[in-house]
Amino acid sequence: MHGKLLAIYNDALRIRAFEKAIGVMADAGHVPGLVHLCLGAEVLQATVCNALDSKTDHVNGSHRSHGIALASGASPFKVAAEILGREDGLSSGLGGTQHLFAPEQGMASNGIVGAQVPLAAGAALTAKTLGTHGIAVCFFGDAAANQGAVLETMNLAAVLSLPLLFILENNGYGLSTSSSYASAGVNLTERAKAFGLESISLPSNTITDQIEQIHIAINTVRTESRPLFLEAPIPRLTGHYHGDAGNFAGDTDTVPDPLLLLREFLDAQNIDTASVKEQSSTEMDEVAGRALRSQAPSPQILDTWRSILGATE
Amino acid sequence: MTTLSVKQALNQALHQLMAADDTVIVVGEDIVGGAGSGSAEELGGAFGVTSGLAARFGTARVIDTPISETAFVGMGIGAAATGLKPIIEVMFCDFMGVCFDQIMNQAAKMRFLSADQIQLPLVIRTSMGAGDSSGAMHSQSLHGLLASIAGLRVVCPSNAADAAGLLKSALSDPNPVVLLEHKGLYDLETDIDPALPAVPIGQGKILIEGAAVTLVTVSAMVHHAVKAAKQLEKDGITVEVIDARSISPLDSDLITKSVAKTGRLLVVDEGAAFGGFADMVIAEVAQKAFPHLKAAPRKITPPHTPVPYAPSLEQNWLPSTPDIIQGVKDLLNA
Repeated sequence: MHGKLLAIYNDALRIRAFEKAIGVMADAGHVPGLVHLCLGAEVLQATVCNALDSKTDHVNGSHRSHGIALASGASPFKVAAEILGREDGLSSGLGGTQHLFAPEQGMASNGIVGAQVPLAAGAALTAKTLGTHGIAVCFFGDAAANQGAVLETMNLAAVLSLPLLFILENNGYGLSTSSSYASAGVNLTERAKAFGLESISLPSNTITDQIEQIHIAINTVRTESRPLFLEAPIPRLTGHYHGDAGNFAGDTDTVPDPLLLLREFLDAQNIDTASVKEQSSTEMDEVAGRALRSQAPSPQILDTWRSILGATE
Repeated sequence: MTTLSVKQALNQALHQLMAADDTVIVVGEDIVGGAGSGSAEELGGAFGVTSGLAARFGTARVIDTPISETAFVGMGIGAAATGLKPIIEVMFCDFMGVCFDQIMNQAAKMRFLSADQIQLPLVIRTSMGAGDSSGAMHSQSLHGLLASIAGLRVVCPSNAADAAGLLKSALSDPNPVVLLEHKGLYDLETDIDPALPAVPIGQGKILIEGAAVTLVTVSAMVHHAVKAAKQLEKDGITVEVIDARSISPLDSDLITKSVAKTGRLLVVDEGAAFGGFADMVIAEVAQKAFPHLKAAPRKITPPHTPVPYAPSLEQNWLPSTPDIIQGVKDLLNA
């Protein structure tokens, strides 16, 4: 178990180091457009993706999915180059930070809040139809929980008994709007129960319990081939986007940093965490430097796409 | 040759496609019918196009859904991205308003945004068209709207052979294809090759050759245009009738070559009066065949209002054969 926890810690640390490197590049003006960092969600994303098999499983994330891409095994260099809009990016700079596609790792992200959830139902349907024993996982935020796409898909997944794990990353905010304002009625876990989904709300303070419950949930979806809903409380350690002053945030952000909790647990077990921390920073600084040296995409790529899509012009 | 209606040809093509490839699935509302009610008899969809599929291929591959267009269209896209070949039925194209994000942002853009790492062998079948007092939310013709979105292919068959043949091509296309089937044509019978050969997407067809006017049209309006052309021929006016078949990509070469010959263009369409298929064709010709034009191109479309309900109003709203005859004569006198 400790080996597994250290692996998760290492993956989560690499994500945090990556996001910090992206933040530094954004501050220096190298990132075009806004970028949404996943600081605070690293341990959750690493735990889930660590337990998936990229040959059979698929994971769909939101606009805040850099960590999911890395944890799924996508090359940090290609992810960074995509975020910078360079030719070495996952999609040669056509997609950008919100549209990350790493199909060999079974990973995709999305620019529309909640739209990734029906797509994940499709991956679950493929696994079920082809009998691969694979599962699909969709990550979405508390704001997406009010989107029709998400609510419809909870119902559809239950009706069709799809092997689909819904993971609600509850960071308390949709942009500037508090979840307590935006979500009426019962809490979101109770809402999911109304669709007949087994629904679990993870404890925010006991990191090892969180990790264990995630592993159990993934195993249940796989072995019983049915949907399951998991609500994970996570802090949003930066604003909605990098550089957002976040002045709207009140004093309700009491969810502790899961990465810190995990480090404290490992330290208490006398497991060395200092060396992996240094390695992750070194790795991601090098990745960022290399991504910055990647070229802008050739203008010819658009001509190629005009002919691929067969447009009439 | 055999005689089949549009509905029968589509149904037989679906049977052939599902029999040939286990990864083909069919998904939609009431496409089996009677789910959960214990009914033994299949409804086979609102128009009967999917009849008999569930009995032959099972409900694991022929899937009835809740009325949740966003969820099941999105599920189809996700399935296409991960190894299946889904044929999704959206009962009326008007309902695409419900799931437009999945069509416009997800299906249309995934191949591009993934830089071709993902292709989508996805077909969205839907119905279109007015004429049966279904009212403004079950009667629209949204092919022009859909064709304006980069990444989608849009086809509108006017007969049984094209319906079955375009469906086959659509499923083997790496892009998502929307197949719009006119409600008023489902029972139209024609003699066709029973093998139902594929019809390439992006190719229009000259139905009648003529010298005086190029008449470009699509879907149900094709039949009004052919009737009009036959009438006009009696007056010595020969009209070249082109069934565009594919809205996007448009067979612009076929149209511009015809206009180069006739010098006159009339577009007849049941879609939008502004910013629709007719405007697209006229813009193409204005840009590519301007020196050949002897008169300004014209269009005949319904007025720019929602589809009215009362039968008399609806028939007035729709372009008719006499409207087309008059349009050709006006164009020749222009």
